Amino acid sequence: MSDTIDLLEAIGRDASLRHASTEELTNMLEQAQASKALTSAAAHGDSSLLFAELGHIPMQAPQITQSPCHEEEEPAPDADDEPDNLPAPDPGKSSI
Amino acid sequence: MKTPPLLPPNDARRGNLACVGMGMTLGSHLTPLARSHIEQADVVFAALSDGIVQMWLQRMHADVRSLQPYYQVGKSRMQTYRQWVDLMMTEVRAGKRVCGVFYGHPGIFAWSPHKAIEVARAEGFEAHMEPGISAEDCLYADLGIDPGRFGCQHFEASQLLFYQRRIDPTGYLVLWQVGLVGDRSLTRFETGPAYRQVLVDLLSHDYPLDHEVIIYRGATLPIEKPRIRRVALRDLPDIPLTTEETVVLPPAEALKPNLAIQERLKALDKLDKADAFA
Repeated sequence: MSDTIDLLEAIGRDASLRHASTEELTNMLEQAQASKALTSAAAHGDSSLLFAELGHIPMQAPQITQSPCHEEEEPAPDADDEPDNLPAPDPGKSSI
Repeated sequence: MKTPPLLPPNDARRGNLACVGMGMTLGSHLTPLARSHIEQADVVFAALSDGIVQMWLQRMHADVRSLQPYYQVGKSRMQTYRQWVDLMMTEVRAGKRVCGVFYGHPGIFAWSPHKAIEVARAEGFEAHMEPGISAEDCLYADLGIDPGRFGCQHFEASQLLFYQRRIDPTGYLVLWQVGLVGDRSLTRFETGPAYRQVLVDLLSHDYPLDHEVIIYRGATLPIEKPRIRRVALRDLPDIPLTTEETVVLPPAEALKPNLAIQERLKALDKLDKADAFA
């Protein structure tokens, strides 16, 4: 079975694949021996179907506040304000 | 003539910082230079919006540290963003080459990259930003909007409520983070229909309630299509909306000629012509 992340990167960087029809893309993925999850996600245009294979990491998107200058008024974070389950940095391994 | 390979400068065991954009779509948008920053860094910090894009980033570097766990419901996002700056700067001060990777463009709707670069420079470290393809860029392409045609205003949606801003309904209006509009605490990641109703009430001063608004989310994976929904302004409070979705209001009125200024320019043209013949 082909690697799903590698296949996603290959699709993302190839003009003919990135804008292929659903049918063409599904056929290509079947030929490339893509995982069932990826083939199904492409066929339905639903990336949540990849969670079954890759797991689901809930992500937050906001990276800004809405109040200019308000940023400087907020109290500094407490020392004990570390996030729960924060993975310890390991130089040899990603902490994601 | 054969060009010899360029060798990177060997000056630095001194820490430095690069904040780069990952772009929006996996495989499609990461620039060669941003990728090079990631690959050459000692440590990579990541604030991305898609877990699978994070996994892709992990393939590029062995020490990728997600900034996502620092978000917490009930905790001010401002504290989270400050922690991100501290985390990056701690490694810079330790002499590391640090790369902060942010989804889209690292300098658009993102506080920490700008702040981290400011702090690093103030402490004498080399620091800079590499642009990325932003959600705004994708929006123009996917919706077929040219911001130069009628003009285009962008607001963080809550800022539009908290402050007195002048909306121009003859141009496009793009509202970001409508999913958490009205949150004064910075501790929530969504607000409900009642908050969006306040926004609609404000917008109704400049737009009819049946004005069509576009709700847009760009593709983060290359197997996705952009999500584009069109609803009447009055229905905005009651539809499901995520923080990644952006609301676009097309112009509601025609451009109004500024006749006084046009007359003034005409007079200048005449003077120019007269000078040319003199």
